[in-house]
Amino acid sequence: VTGKAAIVHDNALESYGFGGEHPFNPLRLRLTLELCRDLGLLDSYPQTPSEPATDGDLTTVHSLTYVRMVQAAGRGAARISRLLDYGLGSGDNPVFPDMHEACARVVGGVLESCRLVMRGDAAHAMCVSGGLHHAMRSRASGFCVYNDAGVAIARLKEEHPGIRIAYVDTDAHHGDGVQWMFFEDPDVLTVSIHESGRYIFPGRGEVHEKGRGEGKGYSVNVPLQPYTDDDSFIATFETVVPEALRAFGPDLILSQNGCDAHKLDPLTHLSATTRLYEHLPAAIHDLAHELCEGRWVATGGGGYDIWRVVPRAWSALWAAVSHQQLPKEIPEDWLEKWEAKSPVGLPRLVRDDPADYPAGPRQAEISDKNRRTAEEVIEKVLPLIR
Amino acid sequence: MLQVKDSMAREVTTLSPGDTAGDALALCRERRIRHLPVLEDGSLVGIVSDRDLRSATPAFGDSARAAALAEVRVGDVMAREVVTARPDDPIDTAANAMREERINCLPVLEGDDLVGIVTSSDVMESLVYLLGAHEPGSRMEIVVPDRPGTLAGVAGLIGELGVNIVSVVTGPRQVGEPPSRVAVFRVDTINPTHAAGVLEKAGYTVLWPPRP
Repeated sequence: VTGKAAIVHDNALESYGFGGEHPFNPLRLRLTLELCRDLGLLDSYPQTPSEPATDGDLTTVHSLTYVRMVQAAGRGAARISRLLDYGLGSGDNPVFPDMHEACARVVGGVLESCRLVMRGDAAHAMCVSGGLHHAMRSRASGFCVYNDAGVAIARLKEEHPGIRIAYVDTDAHHGDGVQWMFFEDPDVLTVSIHESGRYIFPGRGEVHEKGRGEGKGYSVNVPLQPYTDDDSFIATFETVVPEALRAFGPDLILSQNGCDAHKLDPLTHLSATTRLYEHLPAAIHDLAHELCEGRWVATGGGGYDIWRVVPRAWSALWAAVSHQQLPKEIPEDWLEKWEAKSPVGLPRLVRDDPADYPAGPRQAEISDKNRRTAEEVIEKVLPLIR
Repeated sequence: MLQVKDSMAREVTTLSPGDTAGDALALCRERRIRHLPVLEDGSLVGIVSDRDLRSATPAFGDSARAAALAEVRVGDVMAREVVTARPDDPIDTAANAMREERINCLPVLEGDDLVGIVTSSDVMESLVYLLGAHEPGSRMEIVVPDRPGTLAGVAGLIGELGVNIVSVVTGPRQVGEPPSRVAVFRVDTINPTHAAGVLEKAGYTVLWPPRP
């Protein structure tokens, strides 16, 4: 149905998680989807199922040795000393049963989202399980085993020769895995806005990382100061992203919508609120219509306050993807079901109250530094895009 | 590991004292280098930088430039007192020599033979590798009392969490603070907050990451 949005999900996608006290908890997907449902945002939108990615899909960007290692790990058939060489079996990326199947499903979900949009079966699509942007060619990293965006981009390049894809990553962490996979490729523009690597994992994403060879200028990085608030994040985005995407001229926008820049996120040091998570998808949506006939695929990503932040941020994302109004109140049904299970008090409103998030003492200084960084990107990186 | 021989360039472009400034500058341009050792009968007799050569010749646009480039000899402008390094010197010794002498390059001698050259860029590169700054990781800054065993204590707690340490360096705290050192760890985890909590519980002061 042309013009309609697709939500690509099935419950099997919720098997990607590391168990126990691990911060990457697939319960956040359940909380999000049930909030969407209870808000009435899924009424006309049945979930679209997807097939797991094949070994052939995965090896477009991963080494076969690594894929075999993940498969063996999930069967309990690999030695821990060998696994560690591939980033597996560490505190961040512990092995879990059938991990290959779970990870390949996530990749398949994002790949299917992209294909739906490229076929014209949907104007926009969302797969919130995706966004595992740290995974490297032969290494799991930062809770990410397979790189869904990397595989989807590589496959689309095969299926649509000459396609130009803009990858826009607003997770609080640098989108390093995707950046390195396409660092020399002028047909893939990667833009990452993130907390500076001086303060946070993975420690990269400086302005001077701008691509190599033919791809010089096609990796755009905007490192933000810790404690950056909504206003400064939005100003930075608006300074850099529209100009970068207009210069590039994409055929598809793939966005990574990690919501860990929120003030409540336990893993990062940024100070955003739900206002950012309404603004970003709306802005990307407008750019998709302006530049590429609306072709836009949105994924999830980081987000570790799974009770108060993730469900609301990604419900806002889905509302933007599906052109629906975002209601004001959290439905009673949802609160009733989850209140008792949540270790923290749950918000009553879909949007944060700005009064709960007063400006920090150094806000002007922080915003000024971010403005200078954005200007540096405008001067030194964007002119290289042809 | 971390010796001059691990970082130095082994193919060295050299000059003779009789070469002209013009030839020498052309070599700098072609090979994108700034320092050229000068050999006479196989022995190191001097070193010359592109800056030495430029300041010894008239600027671009000056009509006397072409003549000077053909006339000035390397032997006239080179530094004759050369600070050198040996292949098995620690890289930090070489770095300190460059810092103290305010120079950017050391020819590397094995006996009397020139076997390499090490520059401040090479030192910078080894610093990046030393700190693991090219690998994914999170930075942690922990105050450790200047006493035996405290660094091992911190490292042990991090290890028990299954977190790999990519690199560690320690340095003195600012003047005026109690005698202690700051250990900067680069750890292979996206979630150093957890480790920070464990360390604080064990009595260490964590300067970064901040606790929620």
